[in-house]
Amino acid sequence: MPKSLLTILKAGVLTQPGVCPDLPDDANGLPTVTGQPCEGAACGKCVESCPTQAITVVEKTVALDRGRCIGCGACLEVCPSGTLVRDCSTAVAVRTRRGLVLSNEPEPAEEELPRELAFLRSLNVREVSTGDGASDQEAIASTNSIFDVARYGIHFVASPRFADALLVSGPVGRAMHDPLRRCYDAMAEPKLVIALGASAISGGVFSGGYAEANGVGSILPVDCFIPGDPPHPWSIIHGLLLTMGRL
Amino acid sequence: MKEPIQRIAVEPAELAETLHGLLRRPGYRLGHLTARVDESNRTVVEALLLDTEGARTSIVSATLAKGESEYPSITRVVPAAHWAERRLGDFFGIRAAGHPRWKSLILHDPAWPLDLAPLAKGPARPREPYRFMTAEGEGIHEIPVGPIHAGIIEPGHFRFTCAGEVIAYLVIRLGYQHRGIEKRLAELPWRTGRYLAESAASDTAVGNALAHAIAIEQLVGINPPPRAEHLRTIALEIERTANHVGDLGALCGDIGYSAGAFLFAPLRGSILGLAEMVTGSRLQRYFVRPGGVSRDISADAADLVRAGLSKVRTRLEELLPLVFENPAVLERMEGAGHLSYAYCRDFGLVGPAARASGGRYDARTVFRHGVYPQVAPAVASREAGDVLARAQVRAAEARASLDLLASLVGGLPDGPVVEPCDDRRLPGGSVGVGIVEAWRGELIHWITTRGDGTISRYAVKDPSSNNWTGLAHAIRGNLVADFPLCNKSFNLSYSGNDL
Repeated sequence: MPKSLLTILKAGVLTQPGVCPDLPDDANGLPTVTGQPCEGAACGKCVESCPTQAITVVEKTVALDRGRCIGCGACLEVCPSGTLVRDCSTAVAVRTRRGLVLSNEPEPAEEELPRELAFLRSLNVREVSTGDGASDQEAIASTNSIFDVARYGIHFVASPRFADALLVSGPVGRAMHDPLRRCYDAMAEPKLVIALGASAISGGVFSGGYAEANGVGSILPVDCFIPGDPPHPWSIIHGLLLTMGRL
Repeated sequence: MKEPIQRIAVEPAELAETLHGLLRRPGYRLGHLTARVDESNRTVVEALLLDTEGARTSIVSATLAKGESEYPSITRVVPAAHWAERRLGDFFGIRAAGHPRWKSLILHDPAWPLDLAPLAKGPARPREPYRFMTAEGEGIHEIPVGPIHAGIIEPGHFRFTCAGEVIAYLVIRLGYQHRGIEKRLAELPWRTGRYLAESAASDTAVGNALAHAIAIEQLVGINPPPRAEHLRTIALEIERTANHVGDLGALCGDIGYSAGAFLFAPLRGSILGLAEMVTGSRLQRYFVRPGGVSRDISADAADLVRAGLSKVRTRLEELLPLVFENPAVLERMEGAGHLSYAYCRDFGLVGPAARASGGRYDARTVFRHGVYPQVAPAVASREAGDVLARAQVRAAEARASLDLLASLVGGLPDGPVVEPCDDRRLPGGSVGVGIVEAWRGELIHWITTRGDGTISRYAVKDPSSNNWTGLAHAIRGNLVADFPLCNKSFNLSYSGNDL
């Protein structure tokens, strides 16, 4: 035991300072849409390159749905105009499904959702996985001493009875529809639902098959969307803080 | 790369005995058992046999007569086929007559209609409702757990039949994450299939993407450039190291040794940081692709990765004694969850779990993937077959992977990182098989094409499908309180099995 304590002391403080630092230069990140004029539907290379139909181009307007985007970077390789570029931000979570759709000609901003201020100081989270182990691993990573989500008063709990928020990863195939609903029903009000990762938001790469794995939104009302496949641990923390009304 | 696959066709009535005979040859194992519907709408039951000494593969197939939905069970003589045959029942609506535990494996009622057989052509024979095995007697009680578990972990249902505190029997009922991946992979154009193929178990992104890429490359007949093969191997070994190191910490967590848990987690974080430098993503998503990899690494970045690897290696040596020289840890791990060599052999277990029970099979030493088998590390093997042995094998593999990584990153050959192949067509009536030693063990993607080059069957065999019954067997006679520890020592994928 003394040996392990010494090893811990020797490690020093590993926790990253600040909230949601940008990704390093080597990291892919999600694409974003700039104001650079798009070459338009005649080009359409980004639409063709996207494996999850996350991009639409109508005339000169490009719309990127981060709820479907898996961050593969294929569109960035083919965009000739610099309209689609890499975004190194980890602060990518949003409160509405429409907020995930980025465009070079944005529509007028919609009204802010009312925030559930009951959880301003602490949030107990029940994570339910439905088929995206990578997002689960990043949720676990958010609890380690590098990201240390607990310092914000956020704790992962073992039962929906203790939980304020349901954090759902994976596309929620047919066999998880009922368990997920029952888990939600077991939570006390007020309660929140957070969709973790592209597959939880839209089904991502899994959508469209007989398994009806099209995301949590078709089963439960969703209060926060964390894009990415998987989302970075900082993006997960961003989503949780956003849901709490802390940002 | 085209590798010759020997094909043997037999009558359904002879399939079991033929396989039994072939599998008695030294080094032979059942890689996968599955089925497909041929172009005359007949169901073909197919076994992929692997010769782990001669590095050869063969496919033994039996075509059922039109309208026939039954064949004599293979499990009767080849126990390793027992889950695979139940999977065939679910997906193709066929029945393995004489199977000792016949019931659904993935598509359980009431979530799935009993007459749904998604890979069958036309209406299928309905399944019987799922039944748990029950036991009665004085002091016998059941503990149902899941599908949703207490931790951050995938869903699955465990039903323990206990005599007091001791587990007499465990039924593992999975399938909750079935996402219809195999059918979707046969519907999508092959160029976009890789994103889904990689997500079969997204915690094994590199393993799945690599098995997919190899199968596609065999079909179109190309070889990735040497630099790509190196980078793929680097990604695969980073994935192995990160998961082994992470799970050593999680094992500490499961016995209440928080110091161990808190020390390994950031080390895993350091390894994922290196992964991000090499591939752009901590979990190395969408890096490996047919023809090579999706991005190159600069010489400067390679130097940084090498320096980082050396730090990780040093730190690992500081941390391992905290586990393996700690009497409190050894006390819990020694003797828990024992599996015999004979059991692992008969039930076809793979990966660290099999090697902890005296197994010597590591696909890296046999089958071409990345720079293997040329530079495969020595096989890490233990005899004891308990939780401790599984932890020791994973520690030994993490060490060996880090050493191998240092030399791979230091010796990257020059040249391109991809041989473009997206404009190629898949040849008609062909087969591509990708076999990879992923961190959990042997992972197979097996693609069969129709005459017109479209994919008729895409089969995925996750190592977890071999090993889940091993866990159910290992836990017998152990305390209920030791289940989390024992479970973590296997750390199997639910989604890779459910597909």
